Amino acid sequence: MSINKFPFSAQRIISILWPSFLTAGLATILFFTAFDPQLIVAVSGFGEVSRLGGYSIGFFLFWLLTASSCSLTCFFQRPCPNATE
Amino acid sequence: MDKPVLQDDQDSGFYAKHKKVYPREVHGLFASLRVIGVTVLLGFYYFVPWMYWNGKQAVLFDLPNRRFYIFDWTFWPQDFFYLAILLIIAAVALFFFTALAGRVWCGYACPQTAWTEVFLWIERKVEGSRNKQIKLDKAPLTRYKLSRKVLKHFIWISFSAWTGFTFVAYFTPVDQLASSIWNLTLGPWEWFWIVFYSFATYGNAGWMREQVCIYMCPYARFQSAMFDNNTLVISYDSVRGEPRGSRKKGIDPKSKNLGACVDCTLCVQVCPTGIDIRQGLQYQCIGCAACVDVCNEVMDKMGYSKNLVKYTTLNALDNIKTNVFRPRVVVYFVLLIALTSGLLYSMATRIPLELDVVRDRNALYRTTPLGYIENIYTLKIANKDLQDHTYVITMTAPFKSTFILRDKQVKVSANLTTNVSARIQADPVDIKAMSEKIEFQIVSINNPELNTTAKAVFLGPKPK
Repeated sequence: MSINKFPFSAQRIISILWPSFLTAGLATILFFTAFDPQLIVAVSGFGEVSRLGGYSIGFFLFWLLTASSCSLTCFFQRPCPNATE
Repeated sequence: MDKPVLQDDQDSGFYAKHKKVYPREVHGLFASLRVIGVTVLLGFYYFVPWMYWNGKQAVLFDLPNRRFYIFDWTFWPQDFFYLAILLIIAAVALFFFTALAGRVWCGYACPQTAWTEVFLWIERKVEGSRNKQIKLDKAPLTRYKLSRKVLKHFIWISFSAWTGFTFVAYFTPVDQLASSIWNLTLGPWEWFWIVFYSFATYGNAGWMREQVCIYMCPYARFQSAMFDNNTLVISYDSVRGEPRGSRKKGIDPKSKNLGACVDCTLCVQVCPTGIDIRQGLQYQCIGCAACVDVCNEVMDKMGYSKNLVKYTTLNALDNIKTNVFRPRVVVYFVLLIALTSGLLYSMATRIPLELDVVRDRNALYRTTPLGYIENIYTLKIANKDLQDHTYVITMTAPFKSTFILRDKQVKVSANLTTNVSARIQADPVDIKAMSEKIEFQIVSINNPELNTTAKAVFLGPKPK
């Protein structure tokens, strides 16, 4: 009940953004050690992107991905309706 | 409500409403150790990007070119193995020191502690002592208060900007970075990361402080798993201290039925995470020993013996002998030594040359007009040295064969790769199997110690 009371509390948002930031950083390092962003961009045909730009965009895409999974975890943590009846 | 539901106050207890902690300035042995730790570590952080080695930036993680330069070493993405081992060593070292001495990392070496210490120092210089800061925050907004606050944030932000600049200087050559900032020609991503890191420094060390340790740090949550009764912790000697109470100097506490604690609350005032160490071991305690320093000062003034609050172990508090060499510490130590020496050995014997062989993908083999069986390979030569090299490539096979290269010698510039096409021809009568193991060798003309080999296979028809 009270878990639902403040769906957008600062702490809730941090608990989504912070763990996803950590894991996105790790994923970025591992991914770009194996794959050169310039080759990926060249293959996908998105035009010219510098390597630093490639790393940064990659990082934010990873962050988006991990943050979505953290948000889903937060969302599913809410008690089911019949459990609180 | 009869169902057990989280109450509001419990909820807010889990995510406490933040009350600003004003840590009081402290002097003493452990405070000095922390100042030394902070100065040395931050000194390295701000100095290293400016360090030059053989005319190049000594430490440069050149992400745009996918090369890491550390003094004479150059690391390529393929060398990720070393970084992985280094991270494992760092983790094992953290386990080892935590098991042995508790949260020494948090108290003396963590970047959060280091930068918070600097920010607190600036705050103290601008706004004055703890009491003055509390008073200033409670006071209505006056011109004086505004000027103090503006000055403090101005210094904080300038220092953060310098920190962000330094961070990016590890990834972009520092002279280029400085001149392109000066000429306003810096790329958008460099700007972004400077602002991002500056903002993180300002936010974490200026505003978040102990909340980072309490709510955000993963290590703070799991460090207790490395603790046992023989781990060094900071603890209040309640047997000696209680019952606490104020008294005049020179009075025998026994006559007033008091313990050694004079209840001056200085230990609470100096605590950067705002806890009372007299309530026992708490996970918010980052082991900074500020309370030890300040209590010792008070004990000195009162003429009591020191160490009412001290570094000790749970066993020592229970009058059990502290055991330093327990299995967990020994295991961590052996692991640490083995990994470190392994890494050092492989770094010392590392050859800055790599040879990869890729077989031609189009055909397994082809038959030449003269009836020979031919295999085609691409040899990828990576010169990881800081100098250009000319290499000689040879090949050995367990059958009679001809090794054909366009050039007998291949020159590869420093830190670059070159692809060389190679062909091997053999008479079908000499081949004993459909797949034969062969080996390529490469050696530098300038320095024969630079040599390496690569294995490959030679494919042919079924021998008759």
